[in-house]
Amino acid sequence: MLRQAGRKYIRVIQGECHVSDDPDVVLTTILGSCVAACIRDPEIGVGGMNHFLLPGDASRISPTSEAERYGAYLMEVLVNGLLRRGASRHRLEAKLFGGASVVKSLSPIGLLNAEFAKRFLATEGIRIVSESLGDERGRRVEYRPVSGHARQLFVEAPAEIVEAPPPSLAASAPGAIELF
Amino acid sequence: MSIAAQLKVLVVDDTTTSRMLVIDALQEIGFRQITYASDGQKALKHMMTTPAHLVISDYEMPGLDGVGLLQGIRAYQPTRHVPFVMVTGRGDKALIEKARQFGLNNFVTKPFTVASLKAALQAIIKGL
Repeated sequence: MLRQAGRKYIRVIQGECHVSDDPDVVLTTILGSCVAACIRDPEIGVGGMNHFLLPGDASRISPTSEAERYGAYLMEVLVNGLLRRGASRHRLEAKLFGGASVVKSLSPIGLLNAEFAKRFLATEGIRIVSESLGDERGRRVEYRPVSGHARQLFVEAPAEIVEAPPPSLAASAPGAIELF
Repeated sequence: MSIAAQLKVLVVDDTTTSRMLVIDALQEIGFRQITYASDGQKALKHMMTTPAHLVISDYEMPGLDGVGLLQGIRAYQPTRHVPFVMVTGRGDKALIEKARQFGLNNFVTKPFTVASLKAALQAIIKGL
């Protein structure tokens, strides 16, 4: 935890979840294809964030796959953490971030993560109050679990590396020294 | 007919998605007679009137949790020997020990796989 200007910054990494009712806490994370669900009960001021990436081959993710069980587990850990602190399931509201297609050539895992999160929340009757999903850029997210305020900064992806063909020997500059 | 297809199973979980995932896995294993309850209290009431042959329950639920349900089932004579499997989060060793004292037969750790659920059931149901 980092303390700065009276605030306590807690970083939530992939596979983790953090719940707090401390108004000074700011939950932070950096997302690419992963999704962070930020859920809170506005009436009692308790909230939390998880950060997940469905594992495995995106082409094999289905509503009953092992990957979905993993995602459901991490969502349930967050919801149960809120309920343990006195939150009421019917008051919960969510903000979703992430699910980017950071590397174009990879399978659409970011999209599938985002779809999973939305499907889970719809099934559980948890209202989505805002979302920033998809795109091709990573995100830096800050979430205050008590007020529900969220800030997002897009992180530009590095330029794609274009592999150049190896120079031919005939094209070598005159006088070049060949090293073995 | 396989043993799994002959057994009545009660699935108990307050999270709809998790409940559906358990039911899907059970169907994949071969169970056909599956009912569910969304909390411990409803499950206990159901067991009093329509006992199942097997109960698979989440631990963390509002009201009556998984251990409370287990205690209730063990306290009622007609259901006191019904196999009970708990689905729990990682790192719940203390909880499992506590539940075993009340007659827990086995447990599965979340996030489970079809294989891990099947193995947990095979350990308590012969010929599954």
